[in-house]
Amino acid sequence: MTHPDRIVSQVILLAKLPGNKRRCEVEKELRAHLDDLAEEARSQGYDHEASARIVRTRFGEPEEVAAAFASVYAAERLLKLIFQSVILVTVSTVAVVLVIGTLQSIAAIFTATSIMSNLRDIHREVFGFAAIVAGYCSLYAGERLFPTSRARALLPSITLGLSLAALFGWLIPQHVALPLAAFACAATGRLLQRVEIPFVWFAGTALPLLMAWALFGPLIPGWRFPWLVWLGLTISCKALREIVGLFERVFVEQFAETGGQS
Amino acid sequence: MPFDRELLKGSIALLILKLLSERDMYGYEIIQESVRRSQDAFEFKEGTLYPALHQLHKRGYLRSEWRTGENGKQRKYYSLTATGKKAARRSQQEWFSFTKVVNAILSKANS
Repeated sequence: MTHPDRIVSQVILLAKLPGNKRRCEVEKELRAHLDDLAEEARSQGYDHEASARIVRTRFGEPEEVAAAFASVYAAERLLKLIFQSVILVTVSTVAVVLVIGTLQSIAAIFTATSIMSNLRDIHREVFGFAAIVAGYCSLYAGERLFPTSRARALLPSITLGLSLAALFGWLIPQHVALPLAAFACAATGRLLQRVEIPFVWFAGTALPLLMAWALFGPLIPGWRFPWLVWLGLTISCKALREIVGLFERVFVEQFAETGGQS
Repeated sequence: MPFDRELLKGSIALLILKLLSERDMYGYEIIQESVRRSQDAFEFKEGTLYPALHQLHKRGYLRSEWRTGENGKQRKYYSLTATGKKAARRSQQEWFSFTKVVNAILSKANS
């Protein structure tokens, strides 16, 4: 990588410009400027080393240029982030509803109860669905916000978990245990999905459920298949993992890895 | 005499608008022209010109297009839009009024 390439890559990497087209355009523009600077220095008789130094000095610190670009495009970046988050949460919620709805339908077939009556009541589980998506996505958001610190990556989950506990405690004080357990299961599931031991994340979805059970008793009174709750959570976590993977491939731009060489 | 960075930063938009009101230019050319006119007194970190150009472009003051020069190099040329032309005139008037006031204060203080 040449010296101008390094400067341009650093600017592109740090500026986090929204959109590939814009990044390529800025890259091309800065590159042309640095080439002109280098050419000017060479025409004045400076050798390669000296001209590289002159280019660097005249261009300024890449961090400073990147910060200025970042502030110019801050609003676009925020809008894009909000749009992407809405898509992720919507698709995740639909996936969780489908997974749990399907499981409940299968359970209804095996217990010879009406599938329709089961599904008619699915809206009552809205807090549970929201909690699963919130638990999983908040941990993913933490990983994106604090990629270098695992402890800090937990912050959004902890904050959201406490807020949801307060909200559910106020809205549905009698049924607060299940959605909170679901939140914890999804977050722990996501956390353990990053451990490179196969199936260890199954424990992530089971542990909070068992703890809630031990503390509060049966989470769904009178239900004959409590393990189905765990199965629903586990399959939901698997589906959410796939969705987050797809989201990363489609939306999360690759400039961080390629240093703007896309 | 090196100028205060904040002072340069504050006047960069005005300089860009003024220079582009005369003819279309690309970034490197804008720098060359401002250095030439200031007789080398006006020096700023050249990389910071581009965020300023993009900011003005975003505000609708500038339009840009890639053109191929005589040496075959591609350059991104900037030109003023109608809004940009108005902004250039307004900024220039503002600057003259401002410097007039500041000069009046300074000359009063010095006398």
